[in-house]
Amino acid sequence: MNWEKLRNIDRRVLYVLIIVIIALALIKPIGFAIVPSQDTIKAYDYIESLPSGSVVYLGMEFSAGGIPELMPQIQSMIRQGFRKDLKFIAGGMWVMAGDMAEKAFSIVADEFPGKQYGVDWVNIGYKPGGEVVLEKMVSSLYETCVGVDYYGNDLNTLPLMAEVPTIKDVDLISVFCTGTPGEREYIRHVTSPYNVPIIAGLIAVNAPQAMPLVQAGQLITVLTGMKSGAEYEVLVGVPGLASAGMDAQSFTHALILVFIILGNLGYFLGGRKQ
Amino acid sequence: MKQEVPIIIGLVFGLLVILGVFFPTLGSLGVWKKTIDDWFLLATAWAVGVGVINLTQIHAKRIRSKSKGYFHSIWLLICMYGLTVFGVFFAKTPSNSGWQFVYNQLLAPMSATVYSSIVFYIGSAAYRSFIAKSLDSTILLVSAVVVMLAAVPLGRFLLGAWINQASAWIMNVLNSSGMRGIQIGATLGAIATALRILVGIERSHVGGAAE
Repeated sequence: MNWEKLRNIDRRVLYVLIIVIIALALIKPIGFAIVPSQDTIKAYDYIESLPSGSVVYLGMEFSAGGIPELMPQIQSMIRQGFRKDLKFIAGGMWVMAGDMAEKAFSIVADEFPGKQYGVDWVNIGYKPGGEVVLEKMVSSLYETCVGVDYYGNDLNTLPLMAEVPTIKDVDLISVFCTGTPGEREYIRHVTSPYNVPIIAGLIAVNAPQAMPLVQAGQLITVLTGMKSGAEYEVLVGVPGLASAGMDAQSFTHALILVFIILGNLGYFLGGRKQ
Repeated sequence: MKQEVPIIIGLVFGLLVILGVFFPTLGSLGVWKKTIDDWFLLATAWAVGVGVINLTQIHAKRIRSKSKGYFHSIWLLICMYGLTVFGVFFAKTPSNSGWQFVYNQLLAPMSATVYSSIVFYIGSAAYRSFIAKSLDSTILLVSAVVVMLAAVPLGRFLLGAWINQASAWIMNVLNSSGMRGIQIGATLGAIATALRILVGIERSHVGGAAE
């Protein structure tokens, strides 16, 4: 048998198999048990420990490409927070921050009809300027926003903004990011100088870079990609997109591992040719 | 003076910002820093405008010369200016239904699709590169397999809870120690580069070569 062929399988075969596997897993999920990890439990427990009325700043530092991995985390955190009567201010340094915040809070109308915009949550939207924006937020949220929120409402008419004049006054920062600016900028300008606790929700590929920050105590914990989103959905008791996507992710990983094994078999049994 | 003036301006304002961060209560340094921060935000907004003009010049040139694929340039300009005109003069706020349609039905799904297409390249790259040719590559292969299996429920289903513990050890011990070294090195390099730019040794940003 020509074992060398196992090393040179046409990549289009892999592409087609990935598409088929993902489609089948989404249409007919098996429902593997999702067991929350220590990192996700840490985030959940920290939110649970916040007293009612605490304010959480949601840093929406991502664009549409990060929705599948980060939106489940954010919406689960919002659900947990609203059950505990926490309040949220959402905004960010990325162009789509306001749009992402609007999408995240789209669950509120159906699931928490008693919650009121301006009292329980505010969307301040995108603020240009990169990390310099955080320096401004440390001085005054009102000036950073030029007096208006994402929808053009005067911030003076929103009671929540009177409780939180600067970002230093929030009880927790939860930043969700896919790149730079991201959690490091918040640590540099807000968390470290002013001791504001911070949780980071990251896409899976960025999570390894943040591990030293957790060990240094600069981050409470890191939520990693769709898996943490699914685990958070389990903890909150509302399965959603992340839980639905975990079977597809499981089988895709398995497929890639099968191809890695085939590639190694082709290398060793084919005479170890470069 | 074409290069010297921007370098002197950069040095003065850079020093003001650095000193303003470390000594905010010394004289009026704190006030100067806040003022420069405000100017930076204005400059960032202007930079967006400069970027739009630059893009227009580049793609207009491609259209005029009918370079290969110039119809992509036509489409880019139509989308860029069309969306700008629509947003500024018609939609005016993000809650406008038309703007919501463009965002939710076009921009967000397309952006997510392009990002998701990475899975094909990653799968193909993993198949070709994760080969146990040496001790180093074998360690990489084993680590990747453990982390990939622990990242999905299938791993725990097939192998038990130990796969998650092994992955956590790899991430918290092996990965963290390596990342820490890389990030310290990268940060020291960034500080050195910033100092070179401040004092004018590095001049590529003003159109000159490094000294």
